[in-house]
Amino acid sequence: MDFGIQNQTDEQQQANKESSNQNVNEGNKKQTGFCAFLTVEFYTPYFNVTETDVIQRIQGTFLPLKPDFLNLIRGNPDLWGPIWINATLIFMITAIANLRQIDEEKENQSFVISYVPQATALLYIIAFGTPLVLAAVMKFLGVDLSFFQTICLYGYSMSTLLPITILCYFQNELFLWLIIVYGFANSSLFLIINLKEELDKLQIQKKYIIIGIVVTMQLSLYLFYKLVFFSYVTE
Amino acid sequence: MDYTNQKHPQNYSQMEDLKTLDLEESVSETIMRDLRMIAYKLKYVLIPKEQEDNGKELRNWDLWGPLIFCLTLAMTLSFKADSTTSSSKSDVFAIIFVLIWVGAFVVTLNAQLLGGKVSFFQSVCLLGYCVFPINIEAIIIAFVGSYLPFVVKLIPVIICFAWSAYSSVGFMASLVPPHKKKLAVYPVFLFYLFLSWFSLIV
Repeated sequence: MDFGIQNQTDEQQQANKESSNQNVNEGNKKQTGFCAFLTVEFYTPYFNVTETDVIQRIQGTFLPLKPDFLNLIRGNPDLWGPIWINATLIFMITAIANLRQIDEEKENQSFVISYVPQATALLYIIAFGTPLVLAAVMKFLGVDLSFFQTICLYGYSMSTLLPITILCYFQNELFLWLIIVYGFANSSLFLIINLKEELDKLQIQKKYIIIGIVVTMQLSLYLFYKLVFFSYVTE
Repeated sequence: MDYTNQKHPQNYSQMEDLKTLDLEESVSETIMRDLRMIAYKLKYVLIPKEQEDNGKELRNWDLWGPLIFCLTLAMTLSFKADSTTSSSKSDVFAIIFVLIWVGAFVVTLNAQLLGGKVSFFQSVCLLGYCVFPINIEAIIIAFVGSYLPFVVKLIPVIICFAWSAYSSVGFMASLVPPHKKKLAVYPVFLFYLFLSWFSLIV
């Protein structure tokens, strides 16, 4: 670059800037149209993360009292996390539930594998269905949170279940209930504190509607978890 | 062109020349040709030394191989399903079948969404062929599994899982930009882990 003499006039610089902006826009051309959400390109901008980003976001969910998560993902919500955290959970539920059933003395062991379709339905409906409903409700009540940010927030809140599932290996009923309650508290707090900033702009009743939806869904998720997947205890 | 020397085509370009003879050959010959193609591709995918041309052979994708391995795995695992699981045989078969195809679909979609420019079916084909080691371990465990303690069963499972994962990871990792490699590779790893777990449990 020539720092000494300003060779280009201002108009030329403006023209260059516009043409370079055009090139950038063509590169990031978003699909428009009614059925755009059915194309792959529509979702590509939401996978713009690296592995360190993902790990950082997961770590953020374990410290619910620091409301940094929303700021972390605001500019760059990603869908990789929600999808694959839930897939990992499905595998872990099956594996841990089967490990619990292993009993060396029994001749013909019978393992449960019907958890796979059940867990898939449960986790994916809660991870993607709840944010759908929540985002619609919030848009209706006037909160400025995009749909994908809500999915991202919800999907990452599922990562609290990762260590909980591993800990569910132990057979002690009291211990299981304790960690389930802890998980419920952690993820609900995480969601509420991160939404707090946005919700404070609303009236009290509207705020509680949203908090109510969030807490109910988390409660049903954790109850289902405990009662269906991990209630089997060997004699 | 002299076709007599080209009785056993090694790739699709040679097959094109033989198209005119398809209707005249016996059924067994057609089937054997397809089986030979599958065997060739299997060797290519699973034995890394064969890949001298950096995976170009994979452009001739086919879904017969994956289908055969998927069906074999599902049938092997549902064979003893009544005694080893609390679900019925058809449940096990359905779960495995759906898991393989939906899993391959989602893993490929994931690679595409992360920015990889790969043909969809090429990737599904590769993932399907790499299910073959899982097949081997499922058959081993189905026959001798009831006589072995759990820990001994783990050995072939881990070996075959590592073999599958290693074969497919090289291809998948080369598809996406370097800073997203682990994000594309982890789902492949999870997919084969899931299948290995089933072959161990059932």
